Amino acid sequence: MNDGPLIVQSDKTLLLEVDHPSAPEARKAIAPFAELERSPEHIHTYRLTPLGLWNARAAGHDAEQVVDALLTWSRYAVPHALLVDVAETMGRYGRLRLEKHPVHGLVLSSTDRPVLEEVLRAKKIAGMVGTRLDDDTVAVHPSERGNLKQALLKLGWPAEDFAGYVDGEAHAIDLAEDGWTLRPYQREAAESFWDGGSGVVVLPCGAGKTIVGAASMAQAQATTLILVTNTVSARQWKDELVARTSLTADEIGEYSGAVKEIRPVTIATYQVLTTKRKGVYPHLELLDARDWGLIVYDEVHLLPAPIFRMTADLQARRRLGLTATLVREDGREGEVFSLIGPKRYDAPWKDIEAQGYIAPADCVEVRVTLPDGERLAYATSDPDTRYRLASCTHAKIDVVRGLVRQHAGQPTLVIGQYIDQLDEIAEMLDAPVIKGETTVKERQRLFNAFRAGEIGLLVVSKVANFSIDLPSAEVAIQVSGSFGSRQEEAQRLGRLLRPKTEGRTAHFYTIVSRDTVDADFAQNRQRFLAEQGYAYRIVDAGDLAAEA
Amino acid sequence: MSSSGRTTPARTLADQLRGWPDERLVALLRARPDLATPAPQDSSQLASRAATRSSIHRALDGLDHLELSVLDALLVAGQTTPEGLISIVRADPQRTAAALQHLLDLALAWESPGGVRALAGVADAMRGMPGLVSGLRPSSPDAPGPADVAARIAELSPAATAMLRHVDAHGGEGTTGSARRTVSPAEARTPAEELISRRLLVPRDGDSVVLPGEVGLALRGGRTTAEPVDDVPDLATSPREPALVARTAAGAAFDVVRRVELVLDHWGVQPPSVLRSGGLAVRDLRALARELHVDEPGAALVVEVALAAGLVAEAVDADGSPAWLPTDEFDVWSGRPVAERWTRLVGAWLASSRVPSLVGSRDPAGKAWNALAPELSSGLAEEARRLALEVLAQLPDGEVLAAGTGIPSLVQRARWLRPRRPTVFADLVTAAVTEAAVLGVSGAGGLPPSGRHVAADDLAAAAEAIDQHLPSPVEHVLLQADLTAVAPGPLETEVARRLHLLADVESRGGATVYRFTAGSVRRGLDAGWSAAEVRDFLSSVSQTPVPQPLEFLVDDVARTFGSVRVGHAEAFLRSDDEAALAALVHDPRGRSLGLRLLAPTVAIATSPLDVLLPRLRELGAAPVVEAADGTVRVSRPDLLRARGRRGRRPAGAVEARRAAEVQAVATAIRAGDRAGSSRPATAESTTPSGALAALREAIEAGSTVVIGYVDNHGATGERVVDPRRLDGGRLAAYDHRADDVREFAVHRITGVRRA
Repeated sequence: MNDGPLIVQSDKTLLLEVDHPSAPEARKAIAPFAELERSPEHIHTYRLTPLGLWNARAAGHDAEQVVDALLTWSRYAVPHALLVDVAETMGRYGRLRLEKHPVHGLVLSSTDRPVLEEVLRAKKIAGMVGTRLDDDTVAVHPSERGNLKQALLKLGWPAEDFAGYVDGEAHAIDLAEDGWTLRPYQREAAESFWDGGSGVVVLPCGAGKTIVGAASMAQAQATTLILVTNTVSARQWKDELVARTSLTADEIGEYSGAVKEIRPVTIATYQVLTTKRKGVYPHLELLDARDWGLIVYDEVHLLPAPIFRMTADLQARRRLGLTATLVREDGREGEVFSLIGPKRYDAPWKDIEAQGYIAPADCVEVRVTLPDGERLAYATSDPDTRYRLASCTHAKIDVVRGLVRQHAGQPTLVIGQYIDQLDEIAEMLDAPVIKGETTVKERQRLFNAFRAGEIGLLVVSKVANFSIDLPSAEVAIQVSGSFGSRQEEAQRLGRLLRPKTEGRTAHFYTIVSRDTVDADFAQNRQRFLAEQGYAYRIVDAGDLAAEA
Repeated sequence: MSSSGRTTPARTLADQLRGWPDERLVALLRARPDLATPAPQDSSQLASRAATRSSIHRALDGLDHLELSVLDALLVAGQTTPEGLISIVRADPQRTAAALQHLLDLALAWESPGGVRALAGVADAMRGMPGLVSGLRPSSPDAPGPADVAARIAELSPAATAMLRHVDAHGGEGTTGSARRTVSPAEARTPAEELISRRLLVPRDGDSVVLPGEVGLALRGGRTTAEPVDDVPDLATSPREPALVARTAAGAAFDVVRRVELVLDHWGVQPPSVLRSGGLAVRDLRALARELHVDEPGAALVVEVALAAGLVAEAVDADGSPAWLPTDEFDVWSGRPVAERWTRLVGAWLASSRVPSLVGSRDPAGKAWNALAPELSSGLAEEARRLALEVLAQLPDGEVLAAGTGIPSLVQRARWLRPRRPTVFADLVTAAVTEAAVLGVSGAGGLPPSGRHVAADDLAAAAEAIDQHLPSPVEHVLLQADLTAVAPGPLETEVARRLHLLADVESRGGATVYRFTAGSVRRGLDAGWSAAEVRDFLSSVSQTPVPQPLEFLVDDVARTFGSVRVGHAEAFLRSDDEAALAALVHDPRGRSLGLRLLAPTVAIATSPLDVLLPRLRELGAAPVVEAADGTVRVSRPDLLRARGRRGRRPAGAVEARRAAEVQAVATAIRAGDRAGSSRPATAESTTPSGALAALREAIEAGSTVVIGYVDNHGATGERVVDPRRLDGGRLAAYDHRADDVREFAVHRITGVRRA
């Protein structure tokens, strides 16, 4: 028996005892190939997945290193079957290579003939490859580069892409580091991406993913297409790029529902690209409008399916994916891997938090009890309206008021799902509200006022979930959410995690109705936050009032 | 021991056995256990039994390539000195001598006055093994010396030489066609006649000729084979740290014990049914494989080992249909320390005839083999396992089978060690090596000390050796805010049992991850815990403070627990007359009815309606039956157990018993010999077994006997014969009166005495 901090389970999870003296070293050793699944206070859980192992292979780690790391740090004997499986899985990556051939253009080649035979025999692959050039090589039409990679991954033989990239139209972009500098991890992330060619950078919300994008653009020195989730986010990207790089506002175009500009750096929304008219995507030509040297995908975990299909045709261009999490609620992690690229950089939230770049957060669940009348109404209502009833109880409004009073003077966000509930709260607190129907202009005005500290309280609907930078928010009060989605939780928490002045702690309150579905969903949220390593407290609304 | 028989050549094998010291006899009976059951009366019978066809085949099956070749050489030489024999085997002389000694110890060869000889039946048994042995015929009785043979070969024409070599290369037999049989070398006209005239080919019946052994030897340079017969195939090995081997093995051992426990715990509640043909359904095996995180062959091995260890058996489940259930011995087993549980499993595995490796493949009729199917066994399985472990045990510490090439090389070695075993033996050896790795007998391709003890059948030492590498049990868990508890090692049984009640297992392995949910906590409350007890337990097993969300969960569940109450009643009574109902409930005469008032107008009774009704009438009430239903039955899945096999003894005891038996048999043989020696030497053997023994003795010694024989007409007469062969109930013997070889039915022989 070895006194290591790691326990390797037969179901391919790795348990890391955090308080063990050699835990940091062990973490460093396993981080390249194991996905961190949960990081509660004592034992962190990592998982070995084929994608994770392939990511490690793509980053230059081999099976020997992985096995060695497991054997070195494991407290108990490592299940033999697991080691065999690791070696086998990792051995599958790179048996097939996509390469440039001087005569035939793009080719798929293999050093392992049986593998090539196996995949060529698969029905799906047959339509994507051209003539067989020799025993080990087969021609591939350039337009099938992405589809082929995707299909090969599904067959379990991911191909390594050595076919290179087009340089794209050159355009001078430099970082303007005046009064700020690239943080070390941002620099590392950008460099890892550039060395790898294409791929995904995983950084927590608030860690400055935009800057990583800007740094990569400065590396590429080429025209860039940036795909973002929505218009507000597009404007923020633009502002940020103007502030952080040598680019001027004229060089940056916005391509959204409202404006359609194509400039050397163009920021487009997913929505406009996926708009369909008469069965075709009218804005698809944007992708070919210029000879893009770099394509940046913001919030990769939200990338809609049609974009995947479009991305399949963009394999000759460098692609950078930015995200806070590789977990997709739709389980399409494999497509991100094959179409955008392997994970190139990853830093756990807590690490960056410990470095002081994002604020620590205090998560509190406030439990309210439904008044008897509402409880009866809840008990007798339809299952599909129950959540709404539970979420919108008036009991919550009192709690919101109490919390706002308690944190008077601190910039506060009240976040909710149901508009009438938000309206009611806004009215009662006499605060502006941002919801779906608020115009972009008005939204920007309010956000700017909030950032500037002119408004201390803002009531927002879920439109604020993504990519809106509200660095000054110190308190968030969540009154209802969309059924406890983990992703939503990550985003909302992200709103709060921008670094605070004087290192103050952010507060994240969630108000939950006891003994209802609301509380059941809160369980998911609680689990997610606890798994992410945040302190999570539960208090009773009555106790809270007493505290205040 | 080796020279004991050599100084005084014996007339027969029986004589030789009589002259052996006891310990050598015991060794023989151990090496050929079939000779000892039932116990032979005396050495004659023992010798007779050693010469039977089936026993010889058995003994030959256990020989390696070198030993078979030596025996073959002995047959070619006929009767020879050990030195003469060693000179014609192409192998290291010392090893040849050792092989010969082994053959003598096994009583497959014996030292007659004229030299070392193979037992009479051996030649027959060795026939039909082409490829394994030289293929040479026995030498002619009046064989000329090697120099003479060489000289005759030198005289041949090139065509005749070529023909001779051709015959040697093609089985040592040919047809002569028109060649004359009796010619002198001078008269020979064809190559065939040249050969026949020089007795380099010997005519046999018909027009066939055979190549006598001495000629074959001459052609092969004085040896029986052209290739050396003692080159043992090498094992492909690679270096590996012994500590790693031990750890890997211990990890696997821990895993297999855990898996067996998991399966049987599960089957105790939900037993899978037994197929009509016996065995476990493929569907059940698949479900098991998923649950255990192993593949189907792995799951099959787990259940087969459990079966071999007597931890699972066929019995009827709650519905009365046949099902696979853990036995009562499982309960005893699960209470033992891990090391002891492991030795029980591997001991059973080693001695078992089951072949789990076949599960999933198809039998010759195309039917898939099911795990636990009764016919899934092979007589060779145990031998294959012991052989595989024996070979692995020969690897020095720090050296293990190479990945990939290691197992094939071991199979090659196994083939060399047991050339007479069928090809399926190689598969069994392969399976044995893989199984040993899964069971933790071997680790990373090598045998750790624990595995060596298993190979040597010393399970107690194996348990001790592996214990230090097994994870030591822990008493605490780490509770976390995401409502999980992690036990960073195997939990103490009592703590594990309680935690199991309060939380669901999420991940298993060296550690166990538990998750608390409202359902699991409620399960604990159902089992009679109070919220305070749950909290106390949690804080007592946790090294860190209980996280606040977990406390909230427990309190939340406890708050709603029991707000609706359910009970068991056989009947209910309701009445608008509250006073009448209260009077009934409080009537002392009605106490046995178990009446209880739930509400002023409702009472329940624990007596069934048919008892209740007359009793109520006796008590003066006039009840009316309202409705018979409405009763609630609470049921809980019962833990089912099958009765385990009785009379199992630990492996050590079996071994001791066997040793004692063998010793007893040897003593009995000696007693029989003493009794025999006090009888007159010419005494006639009249018992059937005595007659057979006497006949076999005569075959060995080539002596003449007088047999009493009942002829076709029922007349009894005596014949003077030289017995040649005894097989299938018939004796072939040279009949002095008829001057020819005749066959006699053994059952008509009334007695045998020396002539």
